[in-house]
Amino acid sequence: MTMLAELVFIGTVLAYFAATALFFQFLAKPSASPGAARLAPRVLGLAALLHMGYVLLASFATNVCPVKSIHFVASIAAGVAAGLYLGLRRFARIDALGAFVAPVALTFVLGSRFVGAPDHVAFGGLLAVHVTVNVLGDALFLLASGAAVLYLVEERRLKEKRPASLFGALPPLDALDLAEHRLLLIGFPMLTIGIITGTVWAHRIESGSPAETARALFAYATWLLIGSVLVLRTVLGWRGRRAAYFTIAGFMCAVAVLVVYLVRGPVGGAT
Amino acid sequence: MIVVVGVSHREAPLAVRERLAVDKDSVAGLLKSLADGATVREALCVSTCNRTEVYAVAKSSNENDVRSAQNRVVDVLERFAEANGAGGIVPYLVTHSGKTAVRHLFRVASSLDSLVIGEPQILGQVKDAFDTAKIAGTLGHYLERAMSRAFHVAKRVRTETDVGAGQVSVASVAVDLARQIFGDLGGHTALLLGAGEMAEGAAKLLVKCGAKLSVVNRSPERGAELARDFGGAARPWEHLPQALAQADVVVASTSAKHFIVTRELAAHAIKVRKGKSLFFIDIAVPRDVDPAVNDLDNVYVYDIDNLSDIVAQSMDGRKKEAERAEALVGHEAETFESWSEARNVTGTIVALRAKVRASFDTELDKTLSGRLKHLPEPDRQALGRMVEAAVNKLLHTPVSRIKAMAKDPRGDDFVQTVHELFDLPELPRDVGALEGAPEVETETMTETQSVPAPERETIGR
Repeated sequence: MTMLAELVFIGTVLAYFAATALFFQFLAKPSASPGAARLAPRVLGLAALLHMGYVLLASFATNVCPVKSIHFVASIAAGVAAGLYLGLRRFARIDALGAFVAPVALTFVLGSRFVGAPDHVAFGGLLAVHVTVNVLGDALFLLASGAAVLYLVEERRLKEKRPASLFGALPPLDALDLAEHRLLLIGFPMLTIGIITGTVWAHRIESGSPAETARALFAYATWLLIGSVLVLRTVLGWRGRRAAYFTIAGFMCAVAVLVVYLVRGPVGGAT
Repeated sequence: MIVVVGVSHREAPLAVRERLAVDKDSVAGLLKSLADGATVREALCVSTCNRTEVYAVAKSSNENDVRSAQNRVVDVLERFAEANGAGGIVPYLVTHSGKTAVRHLFRVASSLDSLVIGEPQILGQVKDAFDTAKIAGTLGHYLERAMSRAFHVAKRVRTETDVGAGQVSVASVAVDLARQIFGDLGGHTALLLGAGEMAEGAAKLLVKCGAKLSVVNRSPERGAELARDFGGAARPWEHLPQALAQADVVVASTSAKHFIVTRELAAHAIKVRKGKSLFFIDIAVPRDVDPAVNDLDNVYVYDIDNLSDIVAQSMDGRKKEAERAEALVGHEAETFESWSEARNVTGTIVALRAKVRASFDTELDKTLSGRLKHLPEPDRQALGRMVEAAVNKLLHTPVSRIKAMAKDPRGDDFVQTVHELFDLPELPRDVGALEGAPEVETETMTETQSVPAPERETIGR
């Protein structure tokens, strides 16, 4: 079983790597790479399937429930983001976002595998909800911040009137802005539930360690930043660049929470 | 001799070119103030969004006269820019004279000097400039022939090369950029500010892509006409702030001398729009939209240079055709120059022939009324033909040499020597004074092997 899980893991990494290369090839020379444009999402889909297969096999092999391990959770979040992207890409006209999702998923898969030691924690119903909504929320924020990065790249190019080989390959600015907003709108309630359940859990275990405090602070910062983007957009018309910067900052805070988990491991549970 | 003075996209940025933009109403006045008859005999002005150039004919091909003509054009252009509230154009002015000026004119008319090589609008703009100068009365025989030849060359370039094939227009690039910002343009609103030809092209494409059109024009009648043509709605000029707030794409092409859309106006519009993207396509020269508007969040301003740069990038595949067109233009410029040089010595050749013929005729008359007065009429006519042939034979080599001398930079000195040697009358050697003078016999010209025969039959209108 362990050997099979290892093989699927290698296959997952290779597939994510191939998808990344294909997406970048398409973006570099869109008109010359119609094959890459067709193949890249398919390879990413294969990578996501292998990824889920690996999580399943590895959890059996190590006798760890996937949502009970922060390493698996980080890995699953990346896989879910890839799946969400494949589901949304045509609807939201965000095909080029694959060039962001594929390498980030690859990084998460490798990071969750090699950073820190796998853990196994006591787990209740409250924490199951907490982990599940956070996985989905992080996946959505990953996509939103990807849209924000692409928005900033395209916006700068248009502002500076720079010719670029990416011209015509990136989605329209408004489509990126709208996709980012919608992803945040869906992800924010999940983040809110995650924060509430995490706070209750933290109160129960009364840990108070520095890592625990840092995790909580990063989680609240994420909530504050994403909430600000949504409110200011409605009230003051904060769109485009400012919203993109806030979204990326919010996602970085969410990543910081995961990194603290991965490096230090949970203390009695997850926040 | 033709001189050219002006600015173009090659040397001067848009901010400089707009200081020298000459609108239709001002061209005639500018030309009349240029063509004083003394230093500048003829003048024509081509003013487009990419160039403002004055083509003038100097009093003569003498170096000092050419320099005086150039200086006069520079002075008038500088005064014109200063009258428009902006000086400092002199460092950007480029001058050509003689053969290079003719070649430049041909390149401009053939669209080889355009930012978008092969674009079709420039020929129409040069023809408009020609008509304006003709109406203003500043066109003479020389410039008229040069322009006529330029149109002929432009036609040859268009028909004999593929330099204009597969055009990407400024309007289509503008619409592509709008798509980069908004995606599908269906349901978006395009505002047409002013009514330039290129702006109409962009508006047409935007409407074709599904955008709703709104027109704001200083002339309500023209605005209503445009709105009717494109199935849009006309709005009064006073509603510009509201129209801006409701538009997604603004195509600006008024002939205003100052910015119509200021930073404050655009900032107000974007505030009312709650930050929704706003794209300005500014095709006007001088510009209608303050460049500082581009600094506002979610606002994008593309002026004519920005758009043309993008179009020019699509031209790489046409380089080979452009090289063919350049060779064609070069050949035509050489031909025109040969004609021009031959024309410069026409007066001398005519005077020389007249002088020699008069001498022979005098002596022949003396003989026929003296010792040979008994000769019957057929014999007298035969003698007349013999004298004619002798004159032609005698002058063949000198005429050939004079024409060859015309090509030499010291041609004026050589011709002066001929005048002194044969005691010819001092002919005024400026172009205008030669108009109406009899042309040198074609037979004599074509017999000359060392001088390329001018294509007189094709140069004339």
